[in-house]
This record gives sequence, C-alpha cells and structure tokens, in this order.
Amino acid sequence: MDELTSVFIQEGREQLQAMESGLLELEQQPDNHDNINGIFRAAHTIKGASGVIECHFIEAFMHKVENVLDRLRNGEIHVTGDLTGLLLRSCDHLSHLMDVLEAAAAEPPEDVRHAGDALQLELAAYTAEAAGASAGSMIEAEADVEASGGGVVNTDSWHISVRFGPHMLRGGMDPLSFLRYLASLGEILALETIPDAMPGAAEMDPESCYLGFEIRLQTRSSKADIERVFDFCRDDCELRILAPNSKLAEYVKLIRELPEDDMRLGEMLVRCGALTQSELEEGLFSQQQGKLPGDGDPLAPQLGEILVDHKVVHKEVVEAAVSKQAQVNEKKAVEARLIRVQADKLDQLIDLVGELVIAGASANLLAQRSKQSELVESTSILSRLVENIRDSALQLRMVQIGETFTRFNRVVRDVAKELGKEIDLVITGAETELDKSVVEKIGDPLMHLVRNSMDHGIEPADVRESRGKPRRGTVELNAYHDSGSIVIEVVDDGGGLPRDKILQKAIDKGLVQPTQVLSDQEIINLIWEPGFSTAEQVTNLSGRGVGMDVVRRNIQGLRGSCEVASVEGAGSTFTIRLPLTLAIIDGFLVGVGRSSYVIPLDMVIECIELKENSADRDFLNLRGEVLPFVRLREMFEVEGEHPARENIVVVQYAGQKAGIVVDQLLGEFQTVIKPLSSIFRHLRGIGGSTILGTGEVALILDVQTLVQRNVRKEERDMAANNAVARSTTQN
Amino acid sequence: MGQIVQSPGGSRAPATVAAVDSTPQQYLTFTLGGEMFAVAILNVKEIIEFGTVTEIPMMPGFIRGVINLRGAVVPVIDLSCRFGGKSTEVARRTCIVIVELEQGDQKHDIGVMVDAVSEVLEIARSEIEPPPSFGAKIRTDFISGMGKVNGKFVIILDVARVLSVEEIAMLTQASDSANVEAA
Repeated sequence: MDELTSVFIQEGREQLQAMESGLLELEQQPDNHDNINGIFRAAHTIKGASGVIECHFIEAFMHKVENVLDRLRNGEIHVTGDLTGLLLRSCDHLSHLMDVLEAAAAEPPEDVRHAGDALQLELAAYTAEAAGASAGSMIEAEADVEASGGGVVNTDSWHISVRFGPHMLRGGMDPLSFLRYLASLGEILALETIPDAMPGAAEMDPESCYLGFEIRLQTRSSKADIERVFDFCRDDCELRILAPNSKLAEYVKLIRELPEDDMRLGEMLVRCGALTQSELEEGLFSQQQGKLPGDGDPLAPQLGEILVDHKVVHKEVVEAAVSKQAQVNEKKAVEARLIRVQADKLDQLIDLVGELVIAGASANLLAQRSKQSELVESTSILSRLVENIRDSALQLRMVQIGETFTRFNRVVRDVAKELGKEIDLVITGAETELDKSVVEKIGDPLMHLVRNSMDHGIEPADVRESRGKPRRGTVELNAYHDSGSIVIEVVDDGGGLPRDKILQKAIDKGLVQPTQVLSDQEIINLIWEPGFSTAEQVTNLSGRGVGMDVVRRNIQGLRGSCEVASVEGAGSTFTIRLPLTLAIIDGFLVGVGRSSYVIPLDMVIECIELKENSADRDFLNLRGEVLPFVRLREMFEVEGEHPARENIVVVQYAGQKAGIVVDQLLGEFQTVIKPLSSIFRHLRGIGGSTILGTGEVALILDVQTLVQRNVRKEERDMAANNAVARSTTQN
Repeated sequence: MGQIVQSPGGSRAPATVAAVDSTPQQYLTFTLGGEMFAVAILNVKEIIEFGTVTEIPMMPGFIRGVINLRGAVVPVIDLSCRFGGKSTEVARRTCIVIVELEQGDQKHDIGVMVDAVSEVLEIARSEIEPPPSFGAKIRTDFISGMGKVNGKFVIILDVARVLSVEEIAMLTQASDSANVEAA
C-alpha cells in the first residue's frame, strides 16, 4: 500500500469517527446547523480524498451519502430516526470499504458490495423525491440575475474552463484525477481538451503540464462545491465556472479572457455544446459592435452585468475562501500540536528508558559503595534526570480515555434500539489519562460490561414505570484516578443483580453446594465464575455465559481487578481498577528474609514499627483505627529468625487500609516492571518483577490480591474451626 | 507381553522420525543426580553459571525462582524436583541451561538447573531406542528416546513436555490453592 493510501485510511477513519459522533449528536439536537455542516464536511473530505487516491468504490458511495447530507444541510429533508440510522449504517459500510482498501483489494467482496447497493438504494430514496423541488429553487435563484439583462444561453449545465498550470505534474498532481473527481459530482456531458499551449516537441518539457479543458457538467452541486474539486491546485491553475443558464455575455467574457484565440475557443465551446453556433456569432458580433464606437454608452449594460456577475461570484467565492481559510488554519493548528509517531517507536523508547533506569540504579549503588562524595553527587543528579526522562517518556504514551468512551454512544444507541429499551449514556471523567497499551485492551471488557448492563440490568420502559423509575434507563461510564490506579465504573440504574436467581443458578450448575451459606457479596461474586449466566434466554448480545469470567481474566491480565456492587431494584456498579501504566512505576522497596519486594509507592501511606504485639492477633491500633495486617514472613513461608525490629508498611487500596509486616524498609525505588513468565499467571499476590541495582530480581507485590488472599485464608480457617467445633458438640 | 511393551514404543518412534530427519542430531548432555540426560541442542540457547536466584513464594518446589538474564526475567526449574526427586543442591559445577521453547505462538525462555553440563554429542538416529514403558523412574512422556553412547544409555528429554508452560502453570495454581486451603 502506498503512503498516500495509508494516510487516506488513517485520516479517513478519523473523519469517519467525527461523522459518526456528529450523527449521534444530530439525533439529540436535530437543529444544530454547525453540527450538520460538520458532518457534511467530514463526508465531503472523505469523498474528495478518495477521489484523489482514485479509490472509486468509496468515492461513488460517499457521493450518494453526500447528496443526502447536502439536502439535509439545505433543510430540504428533516432529521428522523430512520435517516440517522441509515446514515450511521452508511458509516459502518464506509468503514468496511476502508477495510477493503486497507487489505489492498481492488474491489469489495460480494457481500459488502450487496450491502452497499442496498444502502445506496435507501439513500437514493432521500434524494429522488427532491429533484423537482431543487430544480425549482435553482431557477428562482437565477431569476433575479436574469432580470439584470442580457441574453441567456439555454443550457441547464455548468460550464467549466480549466487551464492547469505548468507545475501541476511536478507537484505530484494528476489532472486526470481532478477530472475523475469532478465526474463524481455529476455527469460530464462533454469534455474538450485544449492542447494549444503545447509547444513543439523539441521545446516540450515532459514534466510540465500544458493542458486545459472545457467541460460541460450536469450536477446539483453548488459553485463552491465545483471549486472545491480544484482546491488542491487552486493556486496553480486558471479556473472559470459558469453557472447553468448564464448570460451569453459571460461566455463571451470567458472567451476573451482566456489566452487562446477567440474564434478557436468559441469553436471549442460550440463543440462541447455550451453554445450554439448562432449564439456564438451573435455574442462575438455584439461585442465587436459595442467595442467599435468606443464610447461608454454600450458598455454600460456590460458593466452592469459585470457588477451583477461580481455580486454572484463575490458571495460564493468569499464564502469558499473564508471556509477554506478556516479549514487551513484549523488544520495547521492541529498539525502544530500533534506529531504522528508509530506506537512501536514509543514502546522501544520506553523499553530503553527502563533499561536506563536499571543501569542508573546500579551506577548509583556502586557510587554509594565507593564512598566518593563527588561521584555520589553526580550519580544522584543523573538519576534525577533519568527520573524526569522516565516521567516524560511515560507521559508520551498517556492518552485520554474519552475516545474509548465515546465509542459507546453508538453502542448504547444501537443496542437500546435492538432491545427496544430507552437508555441514555452518561460519561464522566473522559479526560482521565492512562497508558495507551492499557486503553487498547480495555475496550472489549468494557463492551461486555456495558452490554450486560443494558441487556440484563436495565428493565424495559414499562417495567421501569411500574417500579416508579423514570422510563429512560441510564448507563454511566465514569473514570477517575485513585492512588496510582485508574478506576472505571459502569453504573446502571436497572434492576440490580437478583441474588436468589444467581444462587439458584450456581447451585444448578454445581458451582456451590446447596448447604453452603454465602454472604450477599459472595453470591454476587458468583457471576465472575466461568460458565455462569443468569439470562433465561440466550440473546445475541450477552448471555452466553462466557462474558463475565472473560472480562475478569482480561482485566487481571492487565494487573487490574474488577468488582461488582449491586442493590436489588436500584441498579449495579461494576468497578474496574487498572494500574496507570504497565511499564515503570515508583516503588517502595522492602526486605523480607533475604529477598526484596516492591510495593507500589502510590499505595503506601506510612511506615511504622511493629511493637511487641500479642502474637496471634493480626491487627493493631493505629491512632484509634483498627488496622489489620499481613505478615509477609508467614505468608511467604520465609525461614529463619525474625529480626529484632519488624516494620509495618501501611497501604491503602480501594479505600481500605491494611498493614504489611516486613523486616526492613529499603526506601523508594524506581521500578521497571518486567512481566513474569506465563508459568506464573495463576500466581496471586505478586504483580510482576523488577531488576534491582545489584542485578537481582525483586518481586512486585500486588497488594490487593495479597490482602484478599489473606482474607480468604482466614475465612477458610474459621470455617474449618467452626466445623470442628460443631462436630465436637454434636458428639 | 512383549507385544504390549513394544506397541507404545513402536507407535512413538515414527512420530519422532517425522520430526527429525535421519541425519545425526546434536545433543547437549548433562548430569542430574548422577544420571546422564540429553536435550536436543536446537532448544538450548545458552548455559550460564548458577548465580543469584530470586525465590518466588507460594510456588511448588520444582520452581526454583527467577533470574535476571540481561534484563529479562527468566524462571528457573529444578529438573530433579520436576522428576519427583529431591531438590538439587547447589555445588561448584551447578549450571542453568537456558532453553527456548515455542508454545502457542509465543517464545518462552526457561532456565533448567542441572548438576553439571558434560558435552555436546552427535547421536545417530539408529542409536536411539524408544523409551522403556516403565523403570526409568520419570514419566515416560518426558522421554523422547534413549540414546546409546559408549555402551550406556542417555535419557533424551522431550523438553516441550518437561517444560510445558501449560502444565507448569496448572501445577502452580493447584499448589497455590492447596496452600490456601491447607493453611
């Protein structure tokens, strides 16, 4: 695929997205004119660009779309649900067409083509009924020009004279593609090539363009649209456009202004059918007559005409010029702020920065050992700089989550239609930033959750009304930062998770024993189990019972976690917590036995000494608060003597505080996260590994799962003890 | 009886023949608990001295830990433990053989702890016998064949089986949850 095409696909997709979000907005605010113009502009840009790269199947399709949008813009048709639906489907189709182009196929495959044909038929329905009406308005517009005098040439088509400049070909433009694009606006009735500027073969420069064209075009597009065809070469060509039913004098003026011989050009015009022979003669004759006397009298009407002419031209030209200028400015501003960089290059940079951090740590360590204060000082400056580089490099990969969220506008709309429910999507925190590699992987799990909420969560409108809720259900997508992680919530105000049903289902599927006593939260958590689904009917949206455990697995794969909270009758909240980045974090290094562990610094609140404590109770009094703690030594079964002084690192996670008992506190440490081999994918409590300055490997603690693990362990202990107690009392 | 013993061996042999052609292949031999083992040299990436291994808590015994291999974190398996024996004592000649495996589109580097690395040998196909159905004291599916070297048998390991990422991951999970339940 050549560069031009790949740029087209990239930019085309952006435009497509703009178009889609515009269409979604259109449904909410049908009268927003700026928005309609924006949609039109996006469609037009795609069409224009596809013409330039000569991708005709896209161009032809977009032409039809544009026609409908044009009528919408002119207020000839009105926004309806069907229309926006149709246009959105057109967007989807266009996206398929781009896939085809990206795959470098010459023609779309059969099924895509059929879909396209069907859409084109539907689109045509919106343009056909209007043909008569628009012709009427066109004539009306012409009427006052007509009144200003002068014979009218009787054609219903535009006449375009274009002389391409000599530098066209050198500038990488092909006159042919402009003509092709022009043809997409309407039908070219006649086309005459003017090769008069062509010098003799000896003087001809094969890289220069000498050609001009006289074109008769039948179209419903405006003059500005036709001018826009030649936007790319505006500065390098002479362009004259005469509207249908222009006055004879304008043709004559055109003939006079163009460099070619008058008579010859006249003949050309006759040949291409713009003028008839008699009209030409009449025109030229009257002009000569007017000129001969030399006084101002006969010129007067001409002047008037020119003025009118100017007025007509003026408005359109100025409008086009202004809009073009605005576009150029806008584009320049965006270009100045953004540089496109391949994601691989960024990843490579981050990897290198990671290595730099590790190498820096080792240099630091050696400097400290050498006890040379100057060396220590210089390495500490170095490591501060490395830290800054690390932060900026990571910042490069941060993107706002908004783009991922806005995709759901469309999903919610479509799914709500499909389900026959009325559902709004509310997005907050779209500007929250997180690592690009995380954003890419979060889309699918989110999709599952949102669909689930809509399918299983939100009740049908009638049920909602009977329960005293507003008819329209709401699904919320929230994002915010919380102690070194990003939290994404999917909230719905639907029926909540039905506990009895879930429990019954779990018993049926053998996930739990009927005699087992489960807390409410435990019952809700059953939905994450593999092969669990409560929908009585399998819909094509969700309910295949693969959803939730896949969601959980995907999120855990990102070192994240997911939870669900639900109030029956009032809705449920799914909370996803993800690390901000998968590359480098600030860590807090602690030692247990001979090993070192890293706790993410964002979670650490404080460190305190573990005072002599009654050994079998694992909680302490932290300024009046009860603080439960985990003994890493016991948990990891580290052998050897307890050191004289043990420390507690107080961590906070998801609003909960807990203590982690360690031997030594080793201080802050820039931690480059190295993923552990997939052998360890079932390992809970360890989030990854990193390399210390000494070259040793240290493990990164996953505080949340570590604490959860402990909770689970204790619960089981209790249950076992209870069972023993019960059996003894029975005996 | 003879037939029963032979049939699994006979069915295995063609499979290995299909995998490698008849030209002699090179094998790296090493000792483990006094016994000689071999692995196909194409799987071996490098051999390093036994250095600092970071232990991973809550893991079964045959996972010795992880090492820093020029910036990459590589797990190390104690082979003797994996075969159901005692864990390997670290001695002067203890080495880690880094084995590269391709499993499910992904490449994995795994370190294997051995007592000592001996030499690289060429063993002709005709010198390789099918594994015995019992008596080797290790799982038969771990053995790809028995090579005859100087009149002695060398156990040629099927590294893809011995170091199966899937299986090890399953075992770690099992041991982890057993830990929680048992405690």
